[in-house]
Amino acid sequence: MESYLDVLPSFVDQIRKIREIIISNIVLIGQISAPTFYERRRAEALVERLADFQVDDCSIDDFGNPIGVIRGASAERQSIFVVAHLDTFSNVEADQNYEVTDKTISGMGVSDNSAAVGVLASLPEVFNRLGLTFESDIVLVAPSHSLARGNLRGIRRLLQTWPTPIRGAICLESVELGRLNYYSDGMIRGEISCSIASERPWGRHHQPNAIIVINEVINAILGLRLPQKPRTQIVIGKIAGGFNHGKIAYDANIGFEIRSDADEIVNALYSDMRDIVDGINKAFAVELKLNRISNLDATRLPYNHPLVKCASRILNRLGVEAVSEPSETALSIFLQRNIPAVTLGLTHGDNYHQDGAMIEIEPIYKGISQIPALIMAMDNGVCDE
Amino acid sequence: MNKKWIESNTFHHSEFKDIERLVNAKKRKKCSISLCLPTLNEEKTIAKEIVIMRSELMTRYPLIDEIVVIDSGSADKTRQIARSYDATVYQADDILPHLERFKGKGENLWKALYVTRGDIIVYIDADIKNIHHRFAYGLLGPLLLSDRVRFTKAFYDRPISMGDNKLHPTGGGRVTELVTRPLFSLFMPDLTQFVQPLSGEYAGYRDIFENIPFHIGYGVETGMLIDIYEKWGLDVMAQVDLDRRVHKNQDTKALGRMAFVIIKTFLNRVQKLNRVVIKQKIFDEMIQYSLIRDMLQPQMHLLAQFERPPMSQIPDYMERSADRESSTLSGNDAPPLRTIETPNKK
Repeated sequence: MESYLDVLPSFVDQIRKIREIIISNIVLIGQISAPTFYERRRAEALVERLADFQVDDCSIDDFGNPIGVIRGASAERQSIFVVAHLDTFSNVEADQNYEVTDKTISGMGVSDNSAAVGVLASLPEVFNRLGLTFESDIVLVAPSHSLARGNLRGIRRLLQTWPTPIRGAICLESVELGRLNYYSDGMIRGEISCSIASERPWGRHHQPNAIIVINEVINAILGLRLPQKPRTQIVIGKIAGGFNHGKIAYDANIGFEIRSDADEIVNALYSDMRDIVDGINKAFAVELKLNRISNLDATRLPYNHPLVKCASRILNRLGVEAVSEPSETALSIFLQRNIPAVTLGLTHGDNYHQDGAMIEIEPIYKGISQIPALIMAMDNGVCDE
Repeated sequence: MNKKWIESNTFHHSEFKDIERLVNAKKRKKCSISLCLPTLNEEKTIAKEIVIMRSELMTRYPLIDEIVVIDSGSADKTRQIARSYDATVYQADDILPHLERFKGKGENLWKALYVTRGDIIVYIDADIKNIHHRFAYGLLGPLLLSDRVRFTKAFYDRPISMGDNKLHPTGGGRVTELVTRPLFSLFMPDLTQFVQPLSGEYAGYRDIFENIPFHIGYGVETGMLIDIYEKWGLDVMAQVDLDRRVHKNQDTKALGRMAFVIIKTFLNRVQKLNRVVIKQKIFDEMIQYSLIRDMLQPQMHLLAQFERPPMSQIPDYMERSADRESSTLSGNDAPPLRTIETPNKK
């Protein structure tokens, strides 16, 4: 282990020498829009880039996941996965133009998760420059259909059908450098929508307002008692409704997420929310619907798992403080299948999900250097201990 | 009119996407290639252009030998950013400083001939938002793979960026369709076959560029086409479809001033070629009107015509060329890039 910790500073220097390739990959791939379910063009561009970089097997599978496999030397055909989700939160289907300065790259989606996808495309060249070869197959994947309604469908299906044993996985997120996720909360993500038939002959004083109804729902949710332990949270993260300042709103909806260390708490709270929706539905006589769009079970690696310890020591050697929080990403899917995995952040950024999304260039060299170091450890059996 | 030219000399960049093939052709031709980016306040786009060209056509494939930025005196961080990505950066005024100084894109392109070292020079505007290395390899393809083509010019399907992430598609360019193409149709129909004669991206062999005069401003593209056509004929020229180019929008008045200069350049050329005789003075001021407090007020824009002579006639350049010739004869496979003082350390 110590041997590759010692070479980390030289990794950073070597990776900085191919900065133009890394930035180009981030820009050329990131500029192609990829809202969830519309990632095909970005997938094709990524596979083309991987093939350009002489990756052995490049393809897009039946689920739309672009995959590149760097064949390892061992005949045992065990795989180490490196993944960065392909889709972005932006719904804009037109291509975006990124701006690059001497210090930053900015543009829609760059910090979630285009920079990580660009880095994924750069890894073959990184390995090449560092003179690294591996016993295991290195599988580079940018899973499709990951976000929101996508519900991590791409990675779920890929792992269901992957033919060879998987030794471990590294999930990449563009931001923040220092991020070290090794557990996921139980989670249900859903929407509550209220719809009022506009043509129904309501009396002037009795016509309900969808926004007011949704407000009742929010108040009822806020009245739910959440345990301190297991740690539990309900986040109401999205709201929309109405169409005119002076008109009663016919439609309104909220998006929420229930998270907890314990799956049974998540399920119980979801059941409570169903009761709230049913109750308000009857009280207001409107069409109020609760819809589950994705869910994950709570899962984790122990803190003292060798992979976590190894990733933590790498960050420490790079002079970066490790920060651990639950992460509801592809990490959960690997852990649910008992595949050791961690999520790493690559650089610092700002305005993650807005037009002015930006990442810093200089920290990314440290961020990338974590990947070959951790793969070397995994290839030497750190996950097999 | 040579109607076959448009069929035989029009290409699409995808025909040249096998960059390794271009690198091999470059080796066979034993030539070196310089990329020149003329700039004026391009801090938002210059880094991306340099990074992508360096990554794809220098680091990954040794197609381009140097990237040179010639700056007209940017007030923003253009030069600093370009240097941070290891481009060689010059201020136009610092090149051949004993000559009279002018400001304009054509001046930068002309002075680039003095400081660049390649046998082929690729000129690409620095304001392209959707820059891709096809802009360079597309232009280089016909030059490297054909023994006949000595000059290539880009054309595009060009939307205009309107801000707020909105793109508005346009035709061949308003000034092209309203000014340049009618003038070419009247006097030089062969040249109407260029889809976008005013496009800012072109490439060619040094012996072409060094033997033509350069207009200092907007007229540089028009003058260049006419001069190459008159001197070497249409067959040495080709045009390449580079697909989409997203660039800054210009308002109608700015396009009007551009049209003024292009018409003037054209008239100047056809006079020199004895094709027309103009019996009155041609004025240097473009007069435009604006409505200010309900009054139409004229705005005078002095758009004087300046032109640099062929670089091959400049004594400093002749001296430098002689040095280059002698080093080429020293036996290397590819001509060595000429050694010149780099300004980056200033």
